[in-house]
Amino acid sequence: MNTESETPKPSHHPVPVHVVGQFSWGLTILFVLASACWMLLPYTGYLFSALVFLMAIVLAGTRWNRGPVLAMGVVSALVWNFFFIPPQFTLHIDKPEDMMMFGLFFVVALSMGHLITRLREREAALEQHHAEREQLLEAKHRAELLAESERLHRTLLDSVSHELKTPIAIIRTALDGLGQGNPYAAEIETANRRLQRIVENFLEMTRVESEALKPRPDWCEVIDVLDQATKPLERELAAHSLNVSGIADMPLVMLDSRLLAQALGNVLHNATLHAPANTPVEIAATLTNGVLELHVRDHGPGLPLGSEDHLFDKFYRAPDSPAGGTGLGLAISRGLMRAMKGDIEARNHPEGGAEFTLHLPVKTRIA
Amino acid sequence: MSKALIIDDEQQMRRLLRMVLEARGYEVSEAADGQLGLQEAAFHRPDVVLLDLGLPGLNGIEVLKRLREWTDVPVLILSVRDQETVKVEALELGADDYVTKPFSTAELLARLDVIQRRRFTRQSPEITAGLLTLDLLHHEATLVDAPVKLTPTEFALLKVLAEHAGRIVTQNQIIRQVWAGQSSDASEGLRVHINHLRKKLGETGPRIVNEPGIGYRLEAE
Repeated sequence: MNTESETPKPSHHPVPVHVVGQFSWGLTILFVLASACWMLLPYTGYLFSALVFLMAIVLAGTRWNRGPVLAMGVVSALVWNFFFIPPQFTLHIDKPEDMMMFGLFFVVALSMGHLITRLREREAALEQHHAEREQLLEAKHRAELLAESERLHRTLLDSVSHELKTPIAIIRTALDGLGQGNPYAAEIETANRRLQRIVENFLEMTRVESEALKPRPDWCEVIDVLDQATKPLERELAAHSLNVSGIADMPLVMLDSRLLAQALGNVLHNATLHAPANTPVEIAATLTNGVLELHVRDHGPGLPLGSEDHLFDKFYRAPDSPAGGTGLGLAISRGLMRAMKGDIEARNHPEGGAEFTLHLPVKTRIA
Repeated sequence: MSKALIIDDEQQMRRLLRMVLEARGYEVSEAADGQLGLQEAAFHRPDVVLLDLGLPGLNGIEVLKRLREWTDVPVLILSVRDQETVKVEALELGADDYVTKPFSTAELLARLDVIQRRRFTRQSPEITAGLLTLDLLHHEATLVDAPVKLTPTEFALLKVLAEHAGRIVTQNQIIRQVWAGQSSDASEGLRVHINHLRKKLGETGPRIVNEPGIGYRLEAE
């Protein structure tokens, strides 16, 4: 109906079809009314026809656009003047009340048009306001739902985490109580450590995927990141010599050291799984143009051909992987690095062995 | 004989800890939730409290707050990984240290020893941590009889760490004591000075270990 008031610049658009329809309907109605009044003229007098015309204009004004209503006003004023007011068939008006009536056609048509337009504008504004409110409410509702589901997710994760870790902790303490030297206890301990790693990997993967992971960067020393990454791997790394370079003179860097240490730890663990015992593992750190790079190179068999693309996929396990392991470690590393706006890549070193590169943008300060 | 109170909701954990502690000569009492724990603490007056952070009902933090309203008994927090913010909160509320489950018995007993040793009344103006000695009177540090040149800030920082040797000190606790009233980027300053201290202490001195998201620990042995 009132699409005209909704189009931003109506004058720049061709006249809509329904408005043309209103013009033709208006003229048709006027013709019918004028003919009827013409026939009734001897019985009613000419003022009656003026009132009929006015009524038609008012009714049209409540439904139609300003243009057709105004046109109806003009046409009916002229028709009434020419055919009805004595002296008939002239545009001449004698009596002042007829002149008033003649003017009234324009006043009514104009003011009706004006009122209706304003009314429609207000309606449209109200409607728009209403729609905006709806949208806002909906957005708010959605945010609340999201927060609620995130909270639930976290609670669930915490409780699952607690349930899985408690028995592992109890086994660990109980084994300590049994003391060293029992080969069976040593086997249980190895299995328990493996179980702990699996549980932690699954929980961490869930956390990475749920985007519940928010990096909290702070100033830190790269050496602390390395310490933290190697500490849980003391046993695995015992069979390898760790050659570290480039870390001593590093400036302070701004990053979440816990996340980076974990990403690095998984890569190191992976190296200890694939490289034969007594081979060195090399860690080199570089800082160029605000990008910190950690290169981890082992002296194992290297990456199987074509596996570079899948290495970081969840549950991917290289064809020659030793038994055990979840195929999650490197996927977690990638997830963690990406959460920090960095990434991780792997390639075969030209001189043999696999080389992983962890890189992320950092702010730095000379220490 | 030291008295220890275990507040943990896991019965098996309590039983195991009791065995470990009794083997060490502790007299052990235990509580399965926070409310009972507070009652036990008031009744038995333990010398050390082992408090699980993940208690049902009245949580560990709340128990610690109420405990600290009337006693400064050493408290060791038992936590799981990924609770860094809660650990920091507990430490700032007056917990003395924490262990992360699963922990080794040796680690647990070592921490318990250290936090009970803390209540010393300083008889001499000297602090010793391993091969390091701090002379508080003359603001001098010596490492194996050789003087170590320290700036006043480095000395203050090392003093805080040495006073808590073997125990965790949170970043905020250090900053409050060393940079009191200064609002500059204290975290950055702290790292810079730790870096310098480590270089000056070298290989022979005590190690300054960072615990990410929490703080520093001076390892003297």
